[in-house]
Amino acid sequence: MSIDNMDKPLIQVQNLGKKFGDMEVLKDISVDIYKGDVVCVIGPSGSGKSTFLRCLNRLEEPSGGHILFEGADIVDKKTDIDKHRQKMGMVFQQFNLFPHMTILKNLTIAPVKLQGKSEKEAKEQALKLLHKVGLADRADSYPNQLSGGQKQRIAIVRSLCMNPDVMLFDEPTSALDPEMVGEVLTVMRELADEKMTMVVVTHEMGFAREVATRVMFMDGGYFLEEAEPGEFFANPKNDRLKLFLSKVL
Amino acid sequence: MWEKLRDDFYQNFIVDDRWKYITDGLQNTLKITFFAVLIGILLGFLVAVIRSTYENTHKLKVLNWICGVYLTIIRGTPVVVQLMIMYFVIFSFHDPGQVFTAVVAFGINSGAYVAEIFRSGISSIEKGQFEAGRSLGFNYAQTMWFIIMPQAFKNVVPTLANEFIVLLKETSVAGYIGLQDLTKGGDIIKSRTYSAFMPLIAVAVIYLVMVMMFSQLVRALERRLQRSEH
Repeated sequence: MSIDNMDKPLIQVQNLGKKFGDMEVLKDISVDIYKGDVVCVIGPSGSGKSTFLRCLNRLEEPSGGHILFEGADIVDKKTDIDKHRQKMGMVFQQFNLFPHMTILKNLTIAPVKLQGKSEKEAKEQALKLLHKVGLADRADSYPNQLSGGQKQRIAIVRSLCMNPDVMLFDEPTSALDPEMVGEVLTVMRELADEKMTMVVVTHEMGFAREVATRVMFMDGGYFLEEAEPGEFFANPKNDRLKLFLSKVL
Repeated sequence: MWEKLRDDFYQNFIVDDRWKYITDGLQNTLKITFFAVLIGILLGFLVAVIRSTYENTHKLKVLNWICGVYLTIIRGTPVVVQLMIMYFVIFSFHDPGQVFTAVVAFGINSGAYVAEIFRSGISSIEKGQFEAGRSLGFNYAQTMWFIIMPQAFKNVVPTLANEFIVLLKETSVAGYIGLQDLTKGGDIIKSRTYSAFMPLIAVAVIYLVMVMMFSQLVRALERRLQRSEH
């Protein structure tokens, strides 16, 4: 847990702000994320949680503040963001697999083109990870032949193939049929067990309660409350959080 | 009736080896179309990339402006006028040959249409594809090349093929700069024999057969490309 971890934070968010035109979506956010943390970000839609996540790897250009990751300020335009993104896996709500490539190619293209791995090396690693998520037999399939749950598991593996230091999840189960949510959460749970650092924007309260090391509540562009999951769900302090939980639990 | 047709055929194609007007003309038509297509693809690709990059990132402002002017002028004027300007104005000081002039003029013309086709193909790809590429660590160019372009290309194959069919047929105005293409070949025969039916129908049939063969080729390519989607 973060309290026991005396190392420097893996990601340091300092006074992060984001505006879309006149709309201030993120207001002065500061948070430290440590190695091994599983941070679940919850909150009503439109609260800015996805924007926060997307700022972490600069898919969204922050309007102000700093994000320190492995010795570099992600927000700084001079930072080679492509290099740092290789170390930050991202999983999208809509999977975003590459439809024109086989599953195997989806998994190996980035390690081969960006990390200089040989096709063979990348393939071995991909197959090993595919096996772990139970999809080894789909290596030669195309994304359109898979179910939503399978696609999302592949998308997770695609990010893992780059050996990232942190994984960002943007509502990974929101586009799934209910019966497929479980298989994706299982994979994420296994990742957490292996001490992968994860930041998860989610509506899955069960997952947050069981797997998270920290849960954060966001509304109106601020983090209004942060606690360990036990405390967070049992004794919410903020009024808006209380209201939110009363609706979703 | 048969007698007359046979005589007509003999007069139009056999006497004085007049069929050579057709075959020589066809050669020129194919040459012009082939190289104009190459220029068109190259130019169109370049312009589409510049325009899309500007749309996505607001970089390359000046180049984007130049591309905009190019598209407006080329798409706003008839190709036959462009061809004549190319030959009688731009190349008036030094004649590089009619075929070369036609290749350049039709290539530049086709590039404008291909550019818009490519650009619509690129913008038809979901934003998520781009974000997935970037989030893995690919830079802008790599994401375009490995992820966006192959999908965009697949989407525009039918439209692109149509553009090349149009181009093939449009080269029939090459006679305006005294170039002897397929159409002009038929026209010359007509002026020698004072009979229009045979030479013009022959020319039409040859265009038709070429277009049909090309369409078949494209359909085969489409089927191959589609296989990966399902």
